[in-house]
Amino acid sequence: MSSTRGIDFATLTLKDALDLAVFIEEEACERYGEFADQMEMHDTQDAARFFRYMVENEEKHRSELAERRRELFGDAPTAVSRAMIFDVEAPEYDEARAFMTLREALNAAMRSEEKAHAFFVAALPRIKDASVRELFEELCAEEVEHKRLVQVEIDKAPPDPKIASKEFADEPVGE
Amino acid sequence: MTTAVATQFAPKDFKSELKPIWCPGCGDFGVLQAIYRALAAIGRPPHEIAFISGIGCSSRIPGYTTAYGFNSVHGRALPIAQGLKLARPELLVLAAGGDGDGFSIGGGHVPHAVRRNDDITYIVMDNQTYGLTKGQLSPTSAKGRHTVTSPEGSLENPVNPLLYVLAYGAPFVAQGTPADIPGLSAMIEEAIRFPGFSFVNVQSPCVTYGEEEQQIKAHKAIMKKLDDLGHDPTSRLQALDRAQSYGTELLTGVYFRDPSPPPTLGSLVRERQESLSAKAKPRERILDLFLQK
Amino acid sequence: MIRDLVIGMAGSGGDGIVSAGESLVSACASEGYHAMMTKSFGSQIRGGESSCRVRIATCPVLNPGGALDVAVALNWEDFLKFGAELPVNGDTVVLYEEKTGVAPDAIPLVGVSPAEVFAVPFGDMARKAIGNEKGKNSVVLGLIAGWFGIGRESILAGIRKKFARKGEELVQANERAFQLGVEYAQANPLKTSRLMEEPTRSGTKLLTDGNDICAAAAIFAGCEFFGGYPITPSTEIMQFFTREVWKYGGSVLQAEDEIAGIGAAVGASFGGKKAMTATSGPGMSLKSEIIGLASIAELPLVIVNVQRGGPSTGMPTKPEQADLFQAVFSAHGDVVRPVLAPTCVSDTFDVTVEAFNIAEHYQTPVIILSDQEIAQRKEVIDVIDTSAFTLVERQRPTAAEMNPYVRFRMTPSGISPISHPGMKGGNYLGAGIEHNEHGDPTASGRIHQQMNEKRIRKFDRLKRRDDLFSIEGDAEAPFALVSWGSTAGVCREALSLARAKGLRVKLLIPKLLFPVNEGLYRRFFTGVKAGLVVEQSYLGQLYRVLRMTLDVPSGVTSFCRSGANPFAPAEIVRKLQDHALSLQQREADVRQPVE
Repeated sequence: MSSTRGIDFATLTLKDALDLAVFIEEEACERYGEFADQMEMHDTQDAARFFRYMVENEEKHRSELAERRRELFGDAPTAVSRAMIFDVEAPEYDEARAFMTLREALNAAMRSEEKAHAFFVAALPRIKDASVRELFEELCAEEVEHKRLVQVEIDKAPPDPKIASKEFADEPVGE
Repeated sequence: MTTAVATQFAPKDFKSELKPIWCPGCGDFGVLQAIYRALAAIGRPPHEIAFISGIGCSSRIPGYTTAYGFNSVHGRALPIAQGLKLARPELLVLAAGGDGDGFSIGGGHVPHAVRRNDDITYIVMDNQTYGLTKGQLSPTSAKGRHTVTSPEGSLENPVNPLLYVLAYGAPFVAQGTPADIPGLSAMIEEAIRFPGFSFVNVQSPCVTYGEEEQQIKAHKAIMKKLDDLGHDPTSRLQALDRAQSYGTELLTGVYFRDPSPPPTLGSLVRERQESLSAKAKPRERILDLFLQK
Repeated sequence: MIRDLVIGMAGSGGDGIVSAGESLVSACASEGYHAMMTKSFGSQIRGGESSCRVRIATCPVLNPGGALDVAVALNWEDFLKFGAELPVNGDTVVLYEEKTGVAPDAIPLVGVSPAEVFAVPFGDMARKAIGNEKGKNSVVLGLIAGWFGIGRESILAGIRKKFARKGEELVQANERAFQLGVEYAQANPLKTSRLMEEPTRSGTKLLTDGNDICAAAAIFAGCEFFGGYPITPSTEIMQFFTREVWKYGGSVLQAEDEIAGIGAAVGASFGGKKAMTATSGPGMSLKSEIIGLASIAELPLVIVNVQRGGPSTGMPTKPEQADLFQAVFSAHGDVVRPVLAPTCVSDTFDVTVEAFNIAEHYQTPVIILSDQEIAQRKEVIDVIDTSAFTLVERQRPTAAEMNPYVRFRMTPSGISPISHPGMKGGNYLGAGIEHNEHGDPTASGRIHQQMNEKRIRKFDRLKRRDDLFSIEGDAEAPFALVSWGSTAGVCREALSLARAKGLRVKLLIPKLLFPVNEGLYRRFFTGVKAGLVVEQSYLGQLYRVLRMTLDVPSGVTSFCRSGANPFAPAEIVRKLQDHALSLQQREADVRQPVE
């Protein structure tokens, strides 16, 4: 569930909005990275590969937005922080499971994109600044596009095996 | 006007290179994230933070932060943390472990850490099992629970960590869950800021040995915020009363926050050291104490 | 026809490698083969690197073996993580997943040219049979059945048993995968046939591990109470009690900590019941105070230490033999407590029963030093005839000895009849404080001396028991091996290899490590020119204890190293040969001084 702290959408400036958008992508990028690490640690390779791919995607979005921010506002200090947003586009920790299938990983990504989309949709009516609204509308549309892309992957993905991989896995180990 | 809640640190400044061994879906990932966020908000640099733990899956947590960590022995995080805090009162000292580490083998240390009241924050990841040793009964397991050491069902009543720590007299007691990481993070931040022994019990589910009704999805469905229930966190009696629903309800938030926190052990020690310092002889002359006049 | 086959398999936890090993061992048990399975894994709870070794033979298997006859690598990254635990040489048949894309002549095993190499499409066969490439483990089993002739029906029965509670669909899917493996083996025969000889004596076998058999032995011996705490690698002993002991009117307590666990066991013993606790190194450290209490209170108690890598938290999943010093010396004060060590799963039964007998007879805590390898390896063993065992009860006071009852009465043997709460007229004060014959506290130097003497003298007969030792080989041999615990099994095999090479060697395996039977060692070492005390500890602890208590011939040295560095039979033979050679050289030099 995404949440924010201390953001007043009505008075949000374009600089702040861009910075927050960068943080949102950064958070998603880090989270997908954590998921990829977890999957690699626990030999869940298909999901690991997909999550690594999402890391690259989110990093691309982040750097595009960061570049735009640099063009408009240069090195002007940031007035907002990562602490103000949480799990906007990043998948929730509870989505990850050892031996999860590619399809399950894709579904987790879809839910994250839906969450991000819902965030922008909810924020839009509260935005007063025209340039911020324009930015958020653009980001909102991008989320729709991301959802479409994920859906393409879901449709391409092989069906989950009738007998799940975790049925073959060894017992958990201890120490 | 947006409010900035920033220090020079970002959560990832507290993330170490070591990759957690925890199973994907483990509640501890959320707790770790909450700790990163809390430490970023507090703003102390990693080298001034010491994170002491015992043994267990959750006790691995110091290694996943950039703080000075000490993954010690089972159940002894609190004595070690107290010794460190007395020796180095300027440090930010955190202690962590599981419910077995803290309330079974470590149970005898809790009342003393509480009554000494040094400025330490103790985070317990409570999952009602011994995960690292493969799923045995733990002190907070419900009565009747079937595990590998209670195949016929547990015959024992569980420990109520909230009730115990409140009854021991702790000045700050809270409970959180990784189903609400921002809330948990705010709670941990507040616990660290609180002057005195602060306790945060986290319902952090074990995705491998826990039941369905113990997982994060279930938390989301049943959790209730103490704030929303009109709870008064300045009343220990109310907190004790609320704590009795541990095991049947999941209430999150601050159970008790002492409105007039007593002096911390560190402050009393400092006072004493200052008042006696004038009487100190130089160390080379310490044997003068035994001079026969 | 081969009689001995060592299979090593590695993959990730998600591949079910260990499950495959378990099915195989279970199949061997039904066929009448002897077998042993050990496993090793990484630290991630799920899906980390995972391996197992299965050794199958037509005669009892003494140890996990050295180089592999068959190496199965479901992926190379995980296989290589196990290094020396899965050694491959010129006789090994290597199978690996074709999908790794590695060419058969380019496998990443440095400096080794295996006998045969197969790139097998395990994943594809699994997908074809099951719809999931993770079902490889059954394909592997099919290959093994096809190439080595190990009973297909038995393996299928093993697969069925393993997957039964997960549903018929899963069972049949695995059976199909198994079949594909068999067909592959038939279509791709080995260059040299390696069919296993039929087992000589088909008959019921037992399949179990050291921990389970230890607990079973305890219950057989009449143990009615277990107090303990979870700690790797001993927890299975407690878990066995939680399933079984209620049936015999006993009880088990998973206590709040190690100290409470042994405390509860001491309480049960004080109450007259046979009692036990089990733990590993860190737990022994915690328990040491109460072990001392049991010693001075002269209470029977069996304490199992399943040794793991130390010190402190150490390496919980690896075996080591470095807790002997602790077992012998960790009491404060002058204390002797018997220390026993099993060498394999089968004699864990005997040693445990004997531990209870010694504990009850001598009214003392007895420490059993098992280790992670014996405790957690699965072995197929011959059925044990329980009627061959005698059980000993503690000596209770007769009616004559009750008027009045003197708990710590001086007796010729040093053992005093022991009462317990509930016994009319037998009231006494048990204590850790020094006491006189009546149990009254004392600080008298004279009485303390007498009591120490009593408590230590009572073990004289135990010290002289030769039946707790085994000596194999040529009784007059000039070369000797001494070993204990899981390493003893490796030395047994080394003994046969050495003798086959014409070396005159004998092997001493103590099951009683302490108190030291000086007479037996003296007799054993008479005429010994060179020898090795082989054990898994950096300090060579048994060697040191022997040096402390008797004259060890200077030619007998310590061959020891830290845990998780297992010995192989061949290397012990080589070491013994080198050692013998260098001694001969030195003697020659002495006889012909350099001019």
